[in-house]
Amino acid sequence: MASTKEIKDRMKSINDTLKITNAMYMISSSKLKKARKRLEDTEPYFFSLQGTMERILRHVPDIKNIYFDNYNDLRPEVKTVAYVVVTADKGLAGAYNHNVLKQAEELMKEADEPRLYVLGELGRHYFEKRNIHIDQQFHYTVQNPSLSRARRITEQLLDEYAQGKLDEVYMIYTRMDNAVTETTVTQKILPLERGKFDMKLPAGVTLENMNFSPSPEAVMDTIVPNYVTGFVYGALVESFASEQNARMMAMETATKSAKNMLHDLDILYNRARQAAITQEITEVIAGAKAQKNKK
Amino acid sequence: MSSFFLKLIATDKVYYQGRVRSVVLPETDGQHEILAHHENLIMAVKGGWVKFQKEGEDTWEEVIVGCGMAQVANNRVMVLVETAESPEEIDVRRASEAKERAEEQLRQDQSIREYYHTQASLARAMERLKASNKNL
Repeated sequence: MASTKEIKDRMKSINDTLKITNAMYMISSSKLKKARKRLEDTEPYFFSLQGTMERILRHVPDIKNIYFDNYNDLRPEVKTVAYVVVTADKGLAGAYNHNVLKQAEELMKEADEPRLYVLGELGRHYFEKRNIHIDQQFHYTVQNPSLSRARRITEQLLDEYAQGKLDEVYMIYTRMDNAVTETTVTQKILPLERGKFDMKLPAGVTLENMNFSPSPEAVMDTIVPNYVTGFVYGALVESFASEQNARMMAMETATKSAKNMLHDLDILYNRARQAAITQEITEVIAGAKAQKNKK
Repeated sequence: MSSFFLKLIATDKVYYQGRVRSVVLPETDGQHEILAHHENLIMAVKGGWVKFQKEGEDTWEEVIVGCGMAQVANNRVMVLVETAESPEEIDVRRASEAKERAEEQLRQDQSIREYYHTQASLARAMERLKASNKNL
């Protein structure tokens, strides 16, 4: 059995760690409150945007537009695929970062020529350590997502897409389903897939007629950048809320297990102390007895 | 007068949802008024003014919006925009600072992307300032 001093030292160090995890728990829970408020405000927009875009894609007539997948026959055989990966700036958030990075690595294996656009300090370090090339100019933080940051990200992506440097753009982020579950989602942002909606239509159902003002091409040219900005913003907000939630839960678990360890050590300490006392008493009595026998 | 359902959603809030008699949206080439039973339509919304008249009211409510899109389907109108603010909400000082900043940047050498970016911010600031002046 360890000595009482060893146990005391151990307990002290656990206590110190407990204070840190508890403080981090409190910080992230207050941040989560803010993030969740923003998420609630943004969700109607985010979901309506995706719904509307799906509807538009269902109705859009056959036009050749740079943002559509039928434009692809003009594109080269080897596709450059961009992945926008949203990680946290810091670790200690449970499996949050790990899930995103794992998904990114899996997807990168399938791509002809992957290019990485990483948001968040942790993800950048992760890929740099593995000598995987990431875009260095793409340097944005994930704290407190704002619309102007989403705009800048979109501008860069659309610019490179329009120049033909990128053929496909995916976004990997974490969606917060509810307070306990989060899912890592990969969403294709560009080009827009129209083809897949034609298949789903059951026979005999005709599409309602949709008009575009002033023309489908002009509408798509203005709508798509907005859609991408909106999507990026929504994804950033979702990720930020998920991150805070993941960190809060991780810290809660850490605090709980520290408390359990302290409890166990407390018992161990009491036993060790009792054992020491018993031993001392035994020694004293044995000594006294020996003295008595001498007389 | 017949009415229809309008939903105006910005990135940070649902600005308005309810029945209206008419809504006027800014389009790339002018204003576009939508009344009840409008044909199905998808249009791009430019930054600027949105005016709508609530059911049973004669006054127009005005909103300053960022760019986005609008969809008219089955007598329902959904407007999705980046920002939506009532004239009272606009921060004049912030807008004029943004305008100054953008104008200063436009005078300097920029890449094409930066140029578009500053132009867009300038347009947003001007729209906000115009709106707040109108309100005074």
